[in-house]
Amino acid sequence: MKRTRVFEITALLLVIVSVIQVGWWVYDQHDYSTQKLQDARSSYAREIAAAQALLAAGTPAEHVHELLPDVAIDDGRARSSGAVDAAFVAERHRRINQYAWESGFFLLALALCVGVIWRALRAETKVLQEQDSFLALVSHQFKTPLASLQLSLETMAKRQLTPEQSRTLMERMLADLTRMESMVSRILDSVRLERGRVDLKSEPVELAAAVGRVVTQFEERARQERIALTADVPRGLVVLADPLAVDVVVRNLLENALAAVAAVSGGSVTFTARAVNDEIELSVRDSGVGFRTTDSARLFKKFSRLHPGGGGSHNGTGLGLFIVRRLMQLTGGRVSAHSVGVGQGALFVLSWPAAPRQSV
Amino acid sequence: MSTAQASAARTLVVEDDPHLAAGLAENLRAEGYAVDTAPDGRLALTWLRENSCELVVLDVMLPHIDGFTLCRTLRAEGNNTPVLFLTARGDPQDRVLGLEAGGDDYLAKPFHLDEFLLRVRAILRRWEWYRKASATPQSAVLRFGGNEVDFRAFRARSWNGAAQDLTEKEAMILKVLAERPGEIVSREDLLERVWGYDVFPSTRTVDNFILRLRKRFERDPANPRHFLTVWGVGYRFLIEGGA
Repeated sequence: MKRTRVFEITALLLVIVSVIQVGWWVYDQHDYSTQKLQDARSSYAREIAAAQALLAAGTPAEHVHELLPDVAIDDGRARSSGAVDAAFVAERHRRINQYAWESGFFLLALALCVGVIWRALRAETKVLQEQDSFLALVSHQFKTPLASLQLSLETMAKRQLTPEQSRTLMERMLADLTRMESMVSRILDSVRLERGRVDLKSEPVELAAAVGRVVTQFEERARQERIALTADVPRGLVVLADPLAVDVVVRNLLENALAAVAAVSGGSVTFTARAVNDEIELSVRDSGVGFRTTDSARLFKKFSRLHPGGGGSHNGTGLGLFIVRRLMQLTGGRVSAHSVGVGQGALFVLSWPAAPRQSV
Repeated sequence: MSTAQASAARTLVVEDDPHLAAGLAENLRAEGYAVDTAPDGRLALTWLRENSCELVVLDVMLPHIDGFTLCRTLRAEGNNTPVLFLTARGDPQDRVLGLEAGGDDYLAKPFHLDEFLLRVRAILRRWEWYRKASATPQSAVLRFGGNEVDFRAFRARSWNGAAQDLTEKEAMILKVLAERPGEIVSREDLLERVWGYDVFPSTRTVDNFILRLRKRFERDPANPRHFLTVWGVGYRFLIEGGA
């Protein structure tokens, strides 16, 4: 916004300078053609007339030429010299050149300014559009669980339900509330991450322990959804990262994998890790719905949803993978997604710098 | 619609949110409807090609095929099953888009259960009336001025022999008018009978549909002989033709 304002002021000043310059050109040219040129021509005509009068009075041509060197004398007659006419022409050319160069410079400067302002305005418009689209998507994401919540409540108010039906509805409502709470947290996280307003540490993190902690929390859910959840992470692999960021990243990827496998009614999710040169790679492989190979980049964009249910009722904000990528970027790591196609499972690979041995 | 009629009605709920889909299905079942569900547009299209139902409750933002595209595809394939759009996108522009895609009604999320059920009943009532009004061989076919309309097949042959595929709304308007030949039918009456209450913001919509019917069936649409305008009130339909 501030940059645009600076450019606007610069362009305005440039326009003012250009207008003054053009005004000066008009005045100068008018003055030159109506006054100076006429004065010069009449003065020269008077010199020719004076030379002719001197010649007529018997003054030798050499004396007349010495007195009035700009007047040509041929056979006792005074006439205008070619050099003076050439000087008038040269002056005209000089002026044309001056106008052409100066106006060219001003036009170029103006064009540059307009171009820069146009680009700045376009960038500003894009930011505004993204904000609008973000708000629209956020409101859309909330309306569905809100509708579900309202429907469940109104169903309870309208119908005579068995205790079991009531319990089902209450569980549904609690899940909807959890989903909305999770959305709020993720939206806030994504906004903070996008604006870089996070204070991330860079310290050694033992990967096996970090993955183990998250996996333990999801074992029960995996069992309920008939998913074989295994973690084969060797001890001693230490990454240089923020411990909380590692936890969030592993958790989001695991939630994503569980939802993808649940969508095909069961399967497996496996964590493996290895050291590659100065980096440590953590792979999360699932046998879930997968995605088209061409969608691997789109996955990490905000609000991308590639399979039915948007990752199930626990996930589905479309922000999980966006947060993963942003956290990895901010902690000097990388994340990539691979799948050979829909229904073929997926592989997510996280890479962090390995912690130096002495810091372990 | 009576309870007995309602119990016969089969509906398809196309919604990718499992909780909402379950809640809708349970409430529709509680009202006596038979309910099937589909979690995305592709599965819904496959289901609708292989099965028939009386109403589709259709979310707009769906995986694979969005609701508007699905509805347009159905209409292009000649499937005139009524569609109630149910979506988080509730602004007027989306409403118009949904109805232009061939939807019968549009409900924005979050919604009240009673309103949802009211709209479902209203759509089914309109279609029940249309089906009943076209049930006998005599009422299924309308002949006027060399035109022949088959209400059950949504097809017609105009006076110049051209085959015409009618949209559900065109057929319904024609049916309302044909039920009362020679009588004045108000725009509001047409809106109520064909669209329901507050779906469209203006009775101009009815005028546009009448223009379309004139283009299809009048020899000179600028000087209609069958679809006559009664200024300030509505329309009068004449089977024999008049000035």
